[in-house]
Amino acid sequence: MQEGLWNPGKTISQTQNWKSGVSYSCDPADFSYMKVNVPCQDACPALTNIPSYIRALYEEKFATSYEINRMVNLLPGTLGRICSRPCELKCRHGEAGLGEPVNICHIKKAASDLRGLGHSYMTPRFAPVGKTVAIVGSGPAGLAAAHDLAMMGFDVTILEAFEEPGGMLRYGIPEFRLPRIILSEEIANILRLGISIKTGVRVGVDLTLESIMSNYDATLIAAGCYEPMELGIPGEDLLGVYTGLNFVMDVAKGLDVRIGKKVMVIGAGFTAFDCSRLALRLGAEDVTLCIRGLEEDLRVTTDEIVEAKREGIRIQSLLLSKGVYGGGHVKGVEFFRTRPVERSSESRRAVEPIFGSEFVLEADSVILAIGQAPQRIPGPGKQNDRGVIIADFGNFRSTATNLYLAGDYLTGPSTVIESISSGRRAAGKIAEDLLGKKLKEWVVRIKDAKLTDRQRSWDLIPRVEIPTVLPVEDRFQSKGFVEVETGYLPEQAHDESKRCYLCYLHYEIDVNKCIYCRYCIDNAPRDCIKLVNDIFTDETGAVSGYLETTQWTEVSAVVIDNSQCVRCGECVRVCPVDCISVSRMDLVERFLIEETEA
Amino acid sequence: MTEVDFTVEVCGMAGDGTIAVGGLINEAMSLGAFSVLGFDSYPAEIRGFGRCVTNSRIGSSEIVALGEQAHALISLNDEQSRSRVPFLAEDCMVFFDSAPPTKVTEDKSLLSVLPPGAQIFGIPFGNLAVSAAGSARGRNLTALGGFAAVCGISPDLFREVIGKKFGSKGDHIVSVNLKSFDAGYEYSKSVFANRLGNIFSDVESNAASPRVMLSGNQAIGMAAIDAGLKLYFGYPITPATPIMEYLAKYLPKQGGRVVQMEDEISSIAAVLGGFYAGARAMTATSGPGFALMTELITHGVMAEIPAVIIDAQRGGPSTGLPTKTEQSDLHAAVFGGPGDSARIVIAPTNVSECYYFVLKSFQLAEKYQTPVIILTDFFLDNRVENVVAPKASEEQKACSNVFPEESSKDNYQRYHYSSSGISPRAIPGMEGFNFTATGLEHTEKGIPDYSPETHSRMTEKRHQKLFSALVDLKEPEEFLSGDSLDVGVIGWGSTFGSIVEAVQRLRKSGFSVGALKISSIFPLHSEIIRKFMAKSTVVLIPELNYEGQLANLIGHLDSKPVERLNLVTGTPMPTSVIQERIYQLMEVLAQ
Amino acid sequence: MSRQSFVIIGNGPAANQAAESLRSQGSEAKITMLSKDSFRGYLPHLLPDFISGSIGEESLYFRPHAYYKEKNIFLRLGQKAVGIDFSKRRIFLEHREVISFDGLIIATGGKPRIPEYYQLFEDLMLTLKTPQDAKLWISKLKSVDSILMLGGDLTSLSLTRALLKMGKTIQFIINEDSFWPIPYSEEIYKAVAQRLESKGVQVVHCNKIRRVTQIDENLIEVDTDTCSVRTGAIGAFFGLVPDVRFLVRSGLDIDRGILVDEFLKTRFEDVFAVGDCAQVYHPALRNYWVSIGYQNAATLGKIAASNLLGSDLEALVAPESILDVGGVKVNTSWWTEF
Repeated sequence: MQEGLWNPGKTISQTQNWKSGVSYSCDPADFSYMKVNVPCQDACPALTNIPSYIRALYEEKFATSYEINRMVNLLPGTLGRICSRPCELKCRHGEAGLGEPVNICHIKKAASDLRGLGHSYMTPRFAPVGKTVAIVGSGPAGLAAAHDLAMMGFDVTILEAFEEPGGMLRYGIPEFRLPRIILSEEIANILRLGISIKTGVRVGVDLTLESIMSNYDATLIAAGCYEPMELGIPGEDLLGVYTGLNFVMDVAKGLDVRIGKKVMVIGAGFTAFDCSRLALRLGAEDVTLCIRGLEEDLRVTTDEIVEAKREGIRIQSLLLSKGVYGGGHVKGVEFFRTRPVERSSESRRAVEPIFGSEFVLEADSVILAIGQAPQRIPGPGKQNDRGVIIADFGNFRSTATNLYLAGDYLTGPSTVIESISSGRRAAGKIAEDLLGKKLKEWVVRIKDAKLTDRQRSWDLIPRVEIPTVLPVEDRFQSKGFVEVETGYLPEQAHDESKRCYLCYLHYEIDVNKCIYCRYCIDNAPRDCIKLVNDIFTDETGAVSGYLETTQWTEVSAVVIDNSQCVRCGECVRVCPVDCISVSRMDLVERFLIEETEA
Repeated sequence: MTEVDFTVEVCGMAGDGTIAVGGLINEAMSLGAFSVLGFDSYPAEIRGFGRCVTNSRIGSSEIVALGEQAHALISLNDEQSRSRVPFLAEDCMVFFDSAPPTKVTEDKSLLSVLPPGAQIFGIPFGNLAVSAAGSARGRNLTALGGFAAVCGISPDLFREVIGKKFGSKGDHIVSVNLKSFDAGYEYSKSVFANRLGNIFSDVESNAASPRVMLSGNQAIGMAAIDAGLKLYFGYPITPATPIMEYLAKYLPKQGGRVVQMEDEISSIAAVLGGFYAGARAMTATSGPGFALMTELITHGVMAEIPAVIIDAQRGGPSTGLPTKTEQSDLHAAVFGGPGDSARIVIAPTNVSECYYFVLKSFQLAEKYQTPVIILTDFFLDNRVENVVAPKASEEQKACSNVFPEESSKDNYQRYHYSSSGISPRAIPGMEGFNFTATGLEHTEKGIPDYSPETHSRMTEKRHQKLFSALVDLKEPEEFLSGDSLDVGVIGWGSTFGSIVEAVQRLRKSGFSVGALKISSIFPLHSEIIRKFMAKSTVVLIPELNYEGQLANLIGHLDSKPVERLNLVTGTPMPTSVIQERIYQLMEVLAQ
Repeated sequence: MSRQSFVIIGNGPAANQAAESLRSQGSEAKITMLSKDSFRGYLPHLLPDFISGSIGEESLYFRPHAYYKEKNIFLRLGQKAVGIDFSKRRIFLEHREVISFDGLIIATGGKPRIPEYYQLFEDLMLTLKTPQDAKLWISKLKSVDSILMLGGDLTSLSLTRALLKMGKTIQFIINEDSFWPIPYSEEIYKAVAQRLESKGVQVVHCNKIRRVTQIDENLIEVDTDTCSVRTGAIGAFFGLVPDVRFLVRSGLDIDRGILVDEFLKTRFEDVFAVGDCAQVYHPALRNYWVSIGYQNAATLGKIAASNLLGSDLEALVAPESILDVGGVKVNTSWWTEF
């Protein structure tokens, strides 16, 4: 999906500043290396430099840590609370036998929470380019695109249908998860780059898309997904049946939402969990979450499942709704039991109903949280069967000239971090199209480095879980606006930051200096230093494998397998001839033109 | 009060700190006033890597033999420890690293071959050491901590011995090791809280006099120092080298000298020279080196010059099995060499005897003016026991040279005939006593003479001297005996501990068996041995050699043939083998 | 070709019966049994009697070590499986050993279930599943005379009986979560409460526990939504949960337990699941069903073993007669027999 980012372009340039010992590389082999060796950054759709910000936090440079995040993901305080954390699944610390992944997300939250009040934002600016862009929607994708375009010198106007900016961040995520004060501050920080925003403007209703397009050099639709999906079963229109999105949005808007005592939520995503937990906060006594498949296949985080259950929510799996029943007001839902069937080619497990298994579960409110789709905005260009404009996933262009799509509007429901990434990449594409040149690019920065103060014993620090409000009853006070995850204390954040292996460090044995004493191998924490006969490379030239040998006569080199290396530094410490060098490799964004102001 | 008889093994690769852990267990349990007998085995190769195993048997009563079945195994390398599984008790406790650096396949795992009754204690040795002390190098100490916690041994015992062992390397090393130990101890205390055994916690110590942990070789070295040794000459050879190492460290401090010679021939020659000049001198070697010495040993016999020679036996012949134990030099010690060259041969059976026998050997050599050979073996040399601190009395240290009377001055005859065969010996430089020393047959004055009368008489004199020595030699000692025995077991050297234990066990079951220990191999107290053989319906002689060398020496003393039990496995004689053999003999008797 | 290797994970009745059946049906394969517990297979239903002292510890265990030697079964106690790679047919053990299998029977059984809400107070609650748990009870009972039972499952009732025999004072909070997989109802609550009270147990009527506070070593205060009670110890009895967490995301279908078909087969070839860790759809219940009880598990173990060796035996989940779902009558209606 991120091929666009990984492909550095046609020119392979390598520049080096000998004095500072820093060089920048666009060599595909280095990109391949980064992909394998800093797996967390690779897993982040926005390519956040995770080891770097964790290290900054360890050094108690909270603001720096926050800024390293903000450079690429723009909303660290927000993401530190609600990110889906694809990085943690790839964290090397979580590999078998190495323990638990680093709590990357909550360290981000800590950076945001712990930076001082005096922290001032620093955003590089380019000279005005004299082009205008309209962005429909101020959700994560729209905000991200606006930020990047404004930074690059474009004149940006956002059109927002709701009263306040933020989109799903503001209206789709409950307060107990994301306090609005955090969100508002981060949005304000984006808008302050000189972005104009018009709220309460419904494009396609109050204003036609065509009229906007005629007034701006380019138009980007990042209007998200606001069309609730329906199950297509009888009884969905009964009183007491809500769609998940409407339920969450009504609560977020501060409307007076009434909910029954016995609530059933049907759905398996974050929205379904939000609905369940909100229902409890609105006074429901018994909340059951019904899913079609298996609990282990839920795409929410494990923490989320545990916290929901701890609050008293029951999860019932292998249930497929057949119909909602009741006379006027809902009384319950009839279900089939389901059974898993052979996985099809796709990665998700499929289920099928067991006929004859029908039974009824009673409820006085039913929330259908099964997802949503983009709303139709009339306009030019190619459209899907629902009349929604479509665009190319790779370059964001619709078939209409200078009309672009980004975020969930383009791809269907995704995560906040994916939307931010999508918005930023779309902005890059728009800028490139309007100006005919690239303004920035991703490069691998290589620096000389030294062993850090990391100690091997830090690898054994247990993962510090985020403190939550307890006892559970206290969460339901103040209308349920209490933020559940209270956040790390400084010392907890510090402890957790110590756990990061700092995979950006690169260890290499100089074969010309190595005396093959094997001390490093004897002291290795795992199978990370290898006696090899041959080294294989992939098509980019990056190391892809080793031909290992146990015969001394066949050993051609002692090598560090960086994909196994946990950067503990033992090898460097025990090497009697000092033949192991350390360097630091960062995947960073580099501007191709000069900034004008800081 | 509960009795304890507990055997623990530590197994790992060279470099894992296996021997260190075994040593700490021995020291700590000794400090806890238990009786301890330990034995390590190293890789056979002098260079390179291999398996190390330590075996420590710990008892509330005196331990005389090695433990055969381990009640606990501390595995520092699981692949190596697989070899120990046949030697584990059914319900053995096994301590292993539950978080090794790499994955292990079933065919290399220790746990996959353990019996179902084994009680396993997985402790992340390396990780705990890393957390506690910053380095995985303390993992052996972590393992030790786990062992102490689970077995209910006071950690203070270990803390004290760790402090002592590493004290010379500085406070930092001590603290790192203590931290690793404590980490293993605390971890096991909490993780295995409901599986902790109290094997040692309610055992009262047998509280004998202050004990020290000594190996056979150390005891030999100590005895030599206490005996006032002036000169040590030697050439390194396993398993005798540690004696030289010990003396190199301590002998110069009290004015003596240790000289590494070019070979064993010059070593024994120098020893003879030392005694010739009136100083106490000693050498130690093993079978191959001893063979080189034999010609000069007979020179000592002929010239009547004292010498003290340790023959630390190992598997033979020739280079043989350098790191394995055997009792196959008895023939060589008693008979080796040209001519009728009778000399004194004694064999200690335990560490304490190593000390007292060596002490005594100097007096024997001086008094009887002949080489004294002390036969030890790899097992006795290297095993450690916590013995009651040995102490030599002034009398035991005293010089036993028989100097000529002042009255014989100017008419001194170096080889004067006497009823005992002992001729007073002058030291070169004693005024008025013309000294001679010759390897040629000689007259009383020391003048070469090959006449039939002289050779006959002198040969007889030299043998008479040895018979006289019997009064100074330790008599055979009966253990657990009676007026008549169904089976009488006779043994010598390091095997005797196993014999005593086997006999003890069988007597407890009501069998009429007894044991006789022979410490003086030559000359023999034939009458005592004969009596013991006569009152035994069957006589059994277990030895770690193929030929039955002691049986050959004493078998003729009684008319009935002796039963032999000969093992050449390179390992110490197992108690159970002796027990089994006696049991078989009893069954035959009963028919 | 090297000898086949069968692995059984578990050491309960189902696992042991499976091993026994594999051998008795002539299999010469290498059989390995992995058990995370460090003690021999035992009969959990005897634990209350062990606590009350009416039977000795030895009678809890059903097989001597010698049995495994004789049958050439590698019983590996105290060695926990932490993951399985079904495509490569390898099992990962906690101590980082990797073992291969040609056939696998998963019989890990259940472990005490503590609902997430109560996990906050877990440290102050005693459970009863293993002899080790029983020993904790025995030592606790030396110093306390009153016990608060929380739950209502089979174990809680037999333990209550044993404790009453010992002259202890029992308070009881009946919790709806304890009756799984039986749908909980007012009738069940009433039936259980009535039976308990008739035996001299004080039933505490409340909906929720709010706070549990330890006052001293042998005194705990429990605040509920209706009242506050003081007790010496708390026992948590919310039934068992299949012990299959280590298999989550291994590719097996895991609901509460491992989903199997009527032949006890899982999604993967030559991999079976039996006993309390397996779940099978029951047409009469219209629900997934976990076998409960000693006899049943053993039978299932036998069937899995036969099927692993090539048979096609169907597991009869439970006779229709006992499973009258309309009423409350199921074979797990333990509360009617208290």
